Amino acid sequence: MELTDADLIARVLADDDQHAFGELVRRHQSSVRGLLRQLTRTDVALADDLAQEAFLRAYKNIRSFRGEARFSTWLYRIAYNCFREDARRRKEFVGVDEEQWRAEKDPRSVDAGLKHDLMHALSLLPLNERTAVVLCCQNGLSHDEAARVLDIPLGTVKTNVLRGREKLKRTLAAWAPN
Amino acid sequence: MIDDETLDRQLRESMPYIDDNGFTAHVMASLPVSRCEAGWLRAAILIGLALIGTGVAYLVGAGHVVRQGVVELANLPIWLLLVFAFGCGLIMGAVAVIFAIRKTPEVQDLVRLKF
Repeated sequence: MELTDADLIARVLADDDQHAFGELVRRHQSSVRGLLRQLTRTDVALADDLAQEAFLRAYKNIRSFRGEARFSTWLYRIAYNCFREDARRRKEFVGVDEEQWRAEKDPRSVDAGLKHDLMHALSLLPLNERTAVVLCCQNGLSHDEAARVLDIPLGTVKTNVLRGREKLKRTLAAWAPN
Repeated sequence: MIDDETLDRQLRESMPYIDDNGFTAHVMASLPVSRCEAGWLRAAILIGLALIGTGVAYLVGAGHVVRQGVVELANLPIWLLLVFAFGCGLIMGAVAVIFAIRKTPEVQDLVRLKF
């Protein structure tokens, strides 16, 4: 029988079992790296560095995980904090990216030959909307869980998801063949 | 215009599974030394130092003190030896229970409970 996340966390807490933590990393690496790739606009190397930092922090602070939320939600929060700190260091962190916003408004600036129209459209969203859409629509978090991850009010998450969705729909509609 | 449900489904389906490709191994290599391993190392160092210290003390002339102690212990009345053995067992048991409690997450969680 496969151990649950809670079982593995208990082993890490009780015996500092690094193999158990390794299993947790294996289980969640794809979603955490996927989230960070979306946040970093598919900068794979940076996303993986941040993911590694996130898992390292998770290991060091696993005693502060109280099991009130899902382990994946807790990991997303750490990963998002890693991303935010890194972006601040790079002085690139802004609530709304004007350049990308203009690009999103003008579908002609987008390469129509791209296979992954949806992912491309997603990468064009402003950071706050992209993050909310990725967490809620792509990773299946509830609005409440996303609010915890992002440390913003629930209403803001709902608004960002709504706006992100509408922009995605508009962008995809413009790309659709007539 | 596509509806919300279709958009969400497409978003979920568009998220590929990212192969590990050594990522987990990389993370594991960057973890600090396990507290268990560190504990064993500390214990080994302490025991080693204690043995060396004992050996040195014996060699510099305290050997007769140890021999005398063992002889005096052997000459104690049997009931006193039993009390001594029982006391030692009690202390060892208490130490073992304390360590067992400290290692049990359920007991640790009691501390976190909010009443």
